[in-house]
Amino acid sequence: MYHLDGTDILDAKYYRKTFSVCPECLGRIPAVVKEDDDGKVYMYKTCEEHGDFRDLISSSAKYYKWTHYAKKDKDGKVVWQFEKNGDANPPDCAIEDPRGCPYNCGLCAEHLSTCSLALIDLTNRCNFNCNFCYANVEKAGYLIEPSMEELERIMDHFRNKPFPAVAIMFTGGEPTVRKDFPEICKMAKDKGFKEVIVATNGYGFQKKKGGLEWTKKVYEMGLDTLYFQFDGINNVTYEKTRGIKNLMQYKMRVIENCRKVGLSSINLVATIARGVTDIEVGNIIQFALDNIDVVRGITFQPVSLCGRISAEEMRDLRITNADVIQEIDNQTGGKIGIETSWYPLSTIVEFGRIIAYLAEVDPIEFTCHPDCGFASYMVVDPDTKEMVPITDYFDPLKVIDFANRFWAKVKHKEKEPLKFFENLMGDAGKTLDNGLNFLDKTQLKARFLLGVLQYIKKPGKLMEMFSRLVMNGDWESISSFTHGTLLLSSMHFQDAYNMDIERTRRCIVHFGVAMPDGSVKEVPFCTMNTLHRPDIEKQVAKKLTQKVKQEFDTSLGQAREDIEREIQPKVAQNGGINKEEK
Amino acid sequence: MPDELVETKDGMKLRKLVELKTTTAEEYQKAMLDRVEYFKEKNQQKSQFNSFLQNTVVKAFSTLLDLKVNVDKALGEENLKKVHEVLDNVLLFGL
Repeated sequence: MYHLDGTDILDAKYYRKTFSVCPECLGRIPAVVKEDDDGKVYMYKTCEEHGDFRDLISSSAKYYKWTHYAKKDKDGKVVWQFEKNGDANPPDCAIEDPRGCPYNCGLCAEHLSTCSLALIDLTNRCNFNCNFCYANVEKAGYLIEPSMEELERIMDHFRNKPFPAVAIMFTGGEPTVRKDFPEICKMAKDKGFKEVIVATNGYGFQKKKGGLEWTKKVYEMGLDTLYFQFDGINNVTYEKTRGIKNLMQYKMRVIENCRKVGLSSINLVATIARGVTDIEVGNIIQFALDNIDVVRGITFQPVSLCGRISAEEMRDLRITNADVIQEIDNQTGGKIGIETSWYPLSTIVEFGRIIAYLAEVDPIEFTCHPDCGFASYMVVDPDTKEMVPITDYFDPLKVIDFANRFWAKVKHKEKEPLKFFENLMGDAGKTLDNGLNFLDKTQLKARFLLGVLQYIKKPGKLMEMFSRLVMNGDWESISSFTHGTLLLSSMHFQDAYNMDIERTRRCIVHFGVAMPDGSVKEVPFCTMNTLHRPDIEKQVAKKLTQKVKQEFDTSLGQAREDIEREIQPKVAQNGGINKEEK
Repeated sequence: MPDELVETKDGMKLRKLVELKTTTAEEYQKAMLDRVEYFKEKNQQKSQFNSFLQNTVVKAFSTLLDLKVNVDKALGEENLKKVHEVLDNVLLFGL
């Protein structure tokens, strides 16, 4: 399994020390992550005041050990491993709290990754009222809605760093309830974000009146991708998760409108709760396959457990990444196997760095912790026309191994380009050095491409696109490649029960908040939701009006004014009967 | 699509995908090629898909890959491992 068979790694029990927080008082406490006799990995921690805590980290110790794999040379020195340290941006703030991470966000000097995905909460208004959601105007009792000026400040913050964020995602609440949402998308594109994403339940896109025109407008203004809430294909499921009946029609209107305007990048996002949505994973994959002209990927998110719960409840509710990918294995007849198809997101870090260096583009650094998430690409086998994991196309570990060793040998060139002629001739030699560096990069490209191609097992159009991606690393090849594949990923966000500071320090998904003093706070996703949100929101909250409170009928997921408008036309202007009703 | 459909008491339609075969295989390729056309048109001469040099290089690699896949089959697994080891060393040599 996982190239570890026959090694002693699988025999040794996993054990690692880290730090976490107490779920009661949120104080920093030592923790141990270790494998138990039941073949699972748990976190153990003790708070002096609130007692002992135990939480499941992975239901498969075997898989967990694989994701913490480190390749060593014959002297036992680590050649490469899935756990990485990124090239962090300079800190934004001092370490004022002596307890250290995670109390100084953000970002402080303890952080080990750059931001790959910038998040902005556009509003906490929402047309749904999901019981597990942390960001909702009704529950909060105040309004969070940054102005255009504040949004610009946040975007500038992320783009003006030495390692700028490449992608931005608008979150909420429901971001599409904002009337100025198209202008916000345009602002993000103008600021240089390559990928503009909205995390949405589909509200703006699904509207019966004007939804199609609105979808066209936001697409034209710069929206690239929908991170689309999609819990399954059954209305019953949505009744359980969102409390709304017949929601599949709503979801299908979103898909159809995107299809009509050519917005062909939808990522389905399924919150996975035990016994509720875990039984839908096969359905969701099938749905994606059937709508591949517009669906680019699926992200499964095991539910985070917010608030206080008992140990018993914890046992019932906790679901880990390993459970999700095991369920996918079960529900796809073993075709997307837990033992063969999935890799930690951090796998491609060196690969990405090489491509970025050779193609002279901004790198996208997935230096998150191996526990954060796993991914697999599904592709169509050119011979059998069957969907297979991309691991059938090449041996990923061999490619990764080659890329890691290649990067170890060439990374110094990134910081120290050749200056042969400049050293000989002074400034006059710079032009010649540019030519020399160009030739050097060209030969490196050829070597790297050949090194990767030797491990490819199948030819075809997709591999042609892959070779373009390796050579150019540009948006055209990345986007075209992803249009020929289906990306599956599983992302497990942390809560106070399973928080691992080693994960937190490597977080690559950061919220940006415009603070009243004119600064921007950059806060890693999991610490925002577990620790910092109440304090930060208190500082930026706006007064809630009655109009905003009553804006939506959350039992239907629609604006009250739209519901009324839909009823009104049935009565004709002259008081008679509308044509449709005759 | 070959699948088993099970309907539960509360109306859930659960699909067990016994074979992950899709009838939309060609649509995948089409989606990718449509994207290529989109970039060709949008970026005109700046697009790599309109570059004669880029297209020639990619075609050459594609031919090389076809050839390689056939050679791999002829070599067998054990020999292939040795070839990969040698190639790795050659490609990393002098860096």
